[in-house]
Amino acid sequence: MHTKTILAALLASALLSTATLAQTVGPGGEVATPSADIALSDADIAELAGKGYKAALLWHTSSDFVNAVSAGAADEFARAGVEVVATTDAGFDAAKQRSDIETALVAQPNVILSLPVDPVTSAEAFRTAVADGVELVFLSNLPAGYVHGTDYAAIVTDDLFQMGKQAADTLAAAIGGEGKVGWIFHDADYYVTNQRDNAFKSVIESDYPNIEIVAEQGITDPARAEELASAMLLQNPDLDGIYVTWAEPADGVLAALRAAGNTDTKIVTLDLSEPVALDMVRGGNVVGLVADEAYELGRAMAAAGLKGLLGQDVPAFIVAPALTVTADTVAEGWQQSLHRDAPASVLSAQ
Amino acid sequence: MSANSTAAPAASPLKTMLARINLQQYVVYIGFLAIFLFFAIVLRDSGFLTQRNLVNILLQTAPATIMAIGLVFVLSSGEIDLSFGSTVAVSALCAAMAMAAMPAFAVPVGLAAGIGAGLLIGAINGALVAWLRLPSFLVTLATMGLVAGIARSLTQLRSIPVTDPLFTGIFGSGSLFGIPSLVIWTVVAVAAGHVVYRQTRFGAHVLATGDNARAAQVSGIKVTRVRLTVFMIGGGLAGLAGLLYAGRLQAAKYTLGETDLMTVIAAVIVGGTLLNGGKGSVIGALVGSLLMGMLNNGLILMGLSVSDQMIVRGLIILVAVAVSLREKSR
Repeated sequence: MHTKTILAALLASALLSTATLAQTVGPGGEVATPSADIALSDADIAELAGKGYKAALLWHTSSDFVNAVSAGAADEFARAGVEVVATTDAGFDAAKQRSDIETALVAQPNVILSLPVDPVTSAEAFRTAVADGVELVFLSNLPAGYVHGTDYAAIVTDDLFQMGKQAADTLAAAIGGEGKVGWIFHDADYYVTNQRDNAFKSVIESDYPNIEIVAEQGITDPARAEELASAMLLQNPDLDGIYVTWAEPADGVLAALRAAGNTDTKIVTLDLSEPVALDMVRGGNVVGLVADEAYELGRAMAAAGLKGLLGQDVPAFIVAPALTVTADTVAEGWQQSLHRDAPASVLSAQ
Repeated sequence: MSANSTAAPAASPLKTMLARINLQQYVVYIGFLAIFLFFAIVLRDSGFLTQRNLVNILLQTAPATIMAIGLVFVLSSGEIDLSFGSTVAVSALCAAMAMAAMPAFAVPVGLAAGIGAGLLIGAINGALVAWLRLPSFLVTLATMGLVAGIARSLTQLRSIPVTDPLFTGIFGSGSLFGIPSLVIWTVVAVAAGHVVYRQTRFGAHVLATGDNARAAQVSGIKVTRVRLTVFMIGGGLAGLAGLLYAGRLQAAKYTLGETDLMTVIAAVIVGGTLLNGGKGSVIGALVGSLLMGMLNNGLILMGLSVSDQMIVRGLIILVAVAVSLREKSR
């Protein structure tokens, strides 16, 4: 029994990781459906109106990204007259997420949008919601052993492979297609970052023969990024570029470069963040940010859950597009990704 | 003495009565009731008072309550333990790995591995504090990181499923005569903890050590042994909390217990245990823990945003601690 469960989990993660070497596909090898295809029609809205449906947003953490996903979901739910009755933050804690689910179920939501913090621990945690007949729409991660259609309505995720690939293409273009780069990856068993990090590495290795990854450094605590980057630069002072797994540790990497007086090493990172974008528009080390369309993710999750509620067929695996933001496209990029204006400091520095 | 009495202004009868009642003892209970009533009224249509929700609060707070009992003993002896959150994760992982290795004896090996890991970490903390007289704050700050690192490396950050139905039934998912096993564990641990703390010579020795270690030593109390034992109690109970998490989630992960440290410390302090030793309450810690769980639960059901939940929770804890400490200093 134990072995079977572990094997199933390993098999699922193996499928995910091998499949995403070429493109983003679902846990069972499902073909990705573009999020733009998941839209509520006027007839759907009319059918949902006045039913008193309720929704809960049970997130894994709090962040700018989660806020944008929540905003997309809340707007779509509001359009359909669905009330959001609970919003939670599990702080990446599996036990807290289980408690959050139990508490939210008391408010009797019809749809739950969530990012399961861990496939193994989440499987039991969401079981009561499945038993209660709630439409579950997951963001980027799937509880182990869950079956589409019976246990959950859909998984919605970023085009993770494209995010890593676009980061690789952006950095390669910035350093002229040749040179030495450092790879700062998220050293945790976390699907989203693992896929993006590995996609960057595999694209550099396969598409750019003149670029060599000479330094690899795992990171778990963004607060330690500066010291890790300083050590990397000390051992490799001639780095042409550095990939940083997401924007928060990129702040620390930037601090290390500034402390070393280094204006040559290019940085590419993922997700939008004000300090990193400011460096980019000022012509600093940052050459590009690859973002996901977080607002669109939330909108598509809400729409998928409501379609499930209406008894319509919902594709198992839905993907929102990736987006490369450079100094020239920062205003449009912010709108497209987070559905709001770029920070004033960034716009005024352009 | 008599001159002072006559010189002092006559106190009103109400003031005298209030002064006689040590309000500090009741702060947690009054706070608990007030918050319960508030949620019961505000959330009357949101399911707060349903049996399912009230049972949820009991189930969700069980591991934190068990940890809180251990912390009452440690704090009462004048020490502190910051490593119990990390101990929870290591214990859960050790239990899960032991059960995966010997599935035929899941319950005994899981129990032995989980509690054993907790006792061992407690013994190491206790030895460093009791024999080497290192400050417990710094010792357990160090072992907190050390143990968290071990938890991460034990399974390379992977979660380990716990599928033995007897184990998950006993530790977290099952029930006896309709009473959930987590509730039974809570009642047993609180009752045992209360009796040991209040009714035994050991409990008195813990308090005496925390109140004035030198005086306790002079009066014949084996202070070193008391210190070692309270850390082992704390470690063992953290191990039990790890088993309850593993049973409830039917899996073990390195993050278990990570976020409990501050909640449990707050629960224990609000529950009437002094940070610097000599005074405490196991029942108060239980009510403090339930209060924390009820706050989380009620604020979610109120539909507040996550940021607003954190602000309100922080303010309520601040008020509770302020009232509690103000009374204590009188």
